[in-house]
Amino acid sequence: MKLSAEIRQQLVSLGNDRNIWMEGSILKLLDDCDGEFKEYITTAIEKDSERRKKRLEITKQVQEKNKELQEKASENENLMVELKDALESAESAKEAALSDLDVVQKKSQFKLIGNIVRYALWVILGTGIITTALYAGAIYAGSSETTLIGNTWSNLFGILLTNSFSIIGTVMGVKYANKDED
Amino acid sequence: MIDSILLIDDEDLFHMVFEDACSLLDITLSLQGVYSADEAEERVIEWMDDPSKKPDCIFVDLNIIGSSFDGIEFIRRVNHKYGNGVVIGIISSSCNDEEIDKACSVGAQFWIVKSDEIEPRLEDFKVDFEGYRDQTAPFKVYK
Repeated sequence: MKLSAEIRQQLVSLGNDRNIWMEGSILKLLDDCDGEFKEYITTAIEKDSERRKKRLEITKQVQEKNKELQEKASENENLMVELKDALESAESAKEAALSDLDVVQKKSQFKLIGNIVRYALWVILGTGIITTALYAGAIYAGSSETTLIGNTWSNLFGILLTNSFSIIGTVMGVKYANKDED
Repeated sequence: MIDSILLIDDEDLFHMVFEDACSLLDITLSLQGVYSADEAEERVIEWMDDPSKKPDCIFVDLNIIGSSFDGIEFIRRVNHKYGNGVVIGIISSSCNDEEIDKACSVGAQFWIVKSDEIEPRLEDFKVDFEGYRDQTAPFKVYK
């Protein structure tokens, strides 16, 4: 590629007076460069080279930073996944602990109910035995109050039986309800 | 000096690095860049009608984000579907042997590993280029 003498002179003036230089591959295409214009082209190539070196350095630094940022983002993502997993396992451990606590509470409730039933049945049984013994004693002793004691015994026994069935029924009901909840 | 080069890479910064490195090393006069394999394929189809626009050499990235196929598939299409007979190879940060073998099998002539210091590899490539052009140079990996 050849440039006219006038254009060459204008380019040289632009370079010297205003520090404006040609750049890029066009510099490699110019032929017949001599004298002042050759000097202009050499300076322009040097300046272009320097600029590109600087830009290359900066671009590489930016690339490096980008790479670091990407690595950090990836690390953060991994940490988030780990954190999520830890949270999930903590939640499942909490649920297991609450379930265990519920089982323990239910066990102690059943134990308490069992004790109450046992004592209530002992009381019912004791009362029944004592009343029966009293009635038998009255019959054996030939007391005139056997009719009264007999009625009382019959009433008392009926009440005791009703109460014991009521207690057992309540206990079975509670157990059945708890099974449904589980 | 290589008259014209086409770079296919999705990374904007690498285009700048490649352009500056090519200029500093006097590798090429004309550098064109595209950001997807699909766009590059359109160019290849255009060259079939107008071969004067065809570059002397194509550098294609292996994984081009936003493209419907990768660099190896692009090379396969260029060599087998369009039969463009252009010097073509991979430029990638990957150095996976399996991928390298795959690229070689579809007709890639070289594999340049991208890194911070790309200039020495491009300089070596510049020396070997004539061999690639006349198909006498074997497949080479620039590490």
